[in-house]
Amino acid sequence: MVLHKFGEKLYSGLVATMTFHLKEICSSIEAAQGGLFLEELNRKWADHNKALQMIRDILMYMDRTFIPSAHKTPVHELGLNLWRDVVIHSSKIQTRLLDTLLELIQGERSGEVINRGLMRNITKMLMDLGSSVYQDDFEKQFLESSADFYRLESQEFIESCDCGEYLKKAERRLNEEIERVSHYLDAKSEAKITNVVEKELIESHMQRLVHMENSGLVNMIVGDKYEDLGRMYSLFRRVASGLVLIRDVMTSYIRETGKQLVTDLERLKDPVDFVQRLLDIKDKYDKIIGSAFSNDKTFQNALNSSFEYFINLNSRSPEYISLFVDDKLRKGLKGVSEEDVEIILDKVMMLFRYLQEKDVFEKYYKQHLAKRLLSGKTVSDDAERSLIVKLKTECGYQFTSKLEGMFTDMKTSEDTMQGFYANVGADLGDGPTLSVQVLTTGSWPTQPINTCNLPTEILSICEKFRNYYLGTHTGRRLTWQTNMGTADLKATFGKGQKHELNVSTYQMCVLMLFNNTDRLTYREIEQAAEIPASDLKRCLQSLACVKGKNVLRKEPMSKDIADSDAFFFNDKFTSKFFKVKIGTVVAQRESEPENQETRQRVEEDRKPQIEAAIVRIMKARRVLDHNNIVTEVTKQLQSRFLPNPVVIKKRIESLIEREFLERDKGDRKLYRYLA
Amino acid sequence: MEVHHTDVRILMLAWKMKAEKQGYFTLEEWRRGLKALRADTVSKLKKALPELEKEVRRPTNFLDLYSYSFRYCLTEEKQKSIDIESICQLLDLVLGSQFRAQVDYLIEYLKIQSDYKVINMDQWLGFYRFCNEISFPDFSGYDPELAWPLILDNFVEWMRAKQT
Repeated sequence: MVLHKFGEKLYSGLVATMTFHLKEICSSIEAAQGGLFLEELNRKWADHNKALQMIRDILMYMDRTFIPSAHKTPVHELGLNLWRDVVIHSSKIQTRLLDTLLELIQGERSGEVINRGLMRNITKMLMDLGSSVYQDDFEKQFLESSADFYRLESQEFIESCDCGEYLKKAERRLNEEIERVSHYLDAKSEAKITNVVEKELIESHMQRLVHMENSGLVNMIVGDKYEDLGRMYSLFRRVASGLVLIRDVMTSYIRETGKQLVTDLERLKDPVDFVQRLLDIKDKYDKIIGSAFSNDKTFQNALNSSFEYFINLNSRSPEYISLFVDDKLRKGLKGVSEEDVEIILDKVMMLFRYLQEKDVFEKYYKQHLAKRLLSGKTVSDDAERSLIVKLKTECGYQFTSKLEGMFTDMKTSEDTMQGFYANVGADLGDGPTLSVQVLTTGSWPTQPINTCNLPTEILSICEKFRNYYLGTHTGRRLTWQTNMGTADLKATFGKGQKHELNVSTYQMCVLMLFNNTDRLTYREIEQAAEIPASDLKRCLQSLACVKGKNVLRKEPMSKDIADSDAFFFNDKFTSKFFKVKIGTVVAQRESEPENQETRQRVEEDRKPQIEAAIVRIMKARRVLDHNNIVTEVTKQLQSRFLPNPVVIKKRIESLIEREFLERDKGDRKLYRYLA
Repeated sequence: MEVHHTDVRILMLAWKMKAEKQGYFTLEEWRRGLKALRADTVSKLKKALPELEKEVRRPTNFLDLYSYSFRYCLTEEKQKSIDIESICQLLDLVLGSQFRAQVDYLIEYLKIQSDYKVINMDQWLGFYRFCNEISFPDFSGYDPELAWPLILDNFVEWMRAKQT
């Protein structure tokens, strides 16, 4: 017919016929009852498609020639459009279709089983008719009614469930919807419906969930509920600012607990325990972030900044961390494998990194190290060295050069002693044996120069050593540091019990006095030994007032030492140990006044460092304004401590006075470097 | 000449003469100064004083006089600072007429503070700048984060505490 120029007639005839036919189909579908409605629709649709195919095949010539030139809709498309207009958009069918679909979905949500295959065919039909049909005739409503549904359901849940249960339910619903889409909805609907669920179930109730009493985020953290936390993380991640909420609540909780810990006076009495608690807290949160928050970097950063915040709230943190290390290196690491030692030291380094006042740590570390080295009380030389290396890597060579000097001195002293005995050994005969450590003044913590009267029994060998040493090292000066030594004494008591007493040098001086007499007053001891009063009192206390170590007896028996007290050699001393340790050279938490003193020394040490930084900066920049100097100085020194801007200003003024700098004559905000 | 030796005009005269040492005029300095004042008799000298005062008041000259007055009080060879008591007197003498209120409070503060026992030239110059540039008594525009000498930071803090 087309060939005979009757294309138009054919075409319009097709349209008319099809329309008529479809109207009939329409009525038959409308007539379908209840559940059969969809099935009828589906069947008729399948038929229609088959018919369309045939028609297209038959009318292929027209499709190819007449239709393009006459700008008419191609046959197949025409067929679809007519189906859409006549059937789907018929007033009765349109709403009924939508309602049925939504009802079925709702039913499935309530637990009913529905015919998914049928659903798939119907939605596919809508997609075939055009994505706008799918959207307008189905999806839009679907999303809206889903939103309503979940809004109600979430309200129900939140009233009746605790946080963990709620999250489980939310997760379940979310997975359901995803599954639904994959089974019988168009793939593009997935993002849209998940958005709906996320908004209604998660976003609207985020705050309430996180802060829920007895089951919210903080409870989960306290109880190490990794699964619940993980679920919360993965759900909240889907929502804008969901993770920010979790992170903020977690951060303020960490800061709060941290702050409580560092200000808890009871806890602070035991530094080792205190630091252990810090490490435990870090471990706990590392584990949470690892297992539940998929090692999220932003959470790691929040944890780090929280630690930095509260560790530095307590100005004694550096001291305590050093005491912790001291404890570990003196006994805590005994019997621990090499790898575990490394792990513990790395953890200590991690805490060290948080410290703002690293120079304070250095001071204490030096003191404690000195005591460990000199009393020979270190568990593992390798562990000591390993920590020094870690500090060097972290802070640079300068930080550790003095510490390394201390180790060198110990080694050198060993060699010196060998040389001494090799050279002089023959002349010594039966006297006491001596072991000397020669300490280079610059490397070791500064000590007050205290000497006392050494007992005659050891004077000769001390002199021999001095002569030997100065013989081989000219131009040096040696001073005995009597407050840092130890001695082993063999003592025999009343009933012949022999013990070996391990004491400090001062204690030795006191005890040796009793070789000549059984009774001495405080004054007599003081005169004979010439030990400074406060040290002497402490020394006598440790010899006479401590149970199990009272090799001396005191009258009166009070705990404090008075100038009028008298001391007796305690004949009746007993101990189940042969070797009795009475020395007191162990590192301890400083008393308040000692702490003040150390702090003052630290402040004094900082002044030249600040000045050096100022001069370095001004030498490079020549002219600089005040604010920039402060910023640059802070930057340069931040690896050691945080300088106080007022102190910086004072140092600048001092440098001006000493004519290293001057104020610029024109712009008074500027400083100028004077060569 | 009927001018008291603690009068500021003596100071001005010394400045004009560029005298090195307080209380003394060398012959050279004397000659130089009188020449500058165009005075060769005592009465002419007396008459020249008001002119001198006016000359001094000019800002550039005043700054010069101001820093001169500090150096003038240094008696020892290597001395760089002046004790608080003398500084208070000097402040009163040199700045008192121009900045009465500030000077009074500053003197009060200097006497009760204990951070500094002496004042150096840098701080001395800071006082003048302070009176000149900072409005009183509100101190608006004063920023302790800038390069003001620390002693003035402390002074402003003390004043502000008093004002509340």
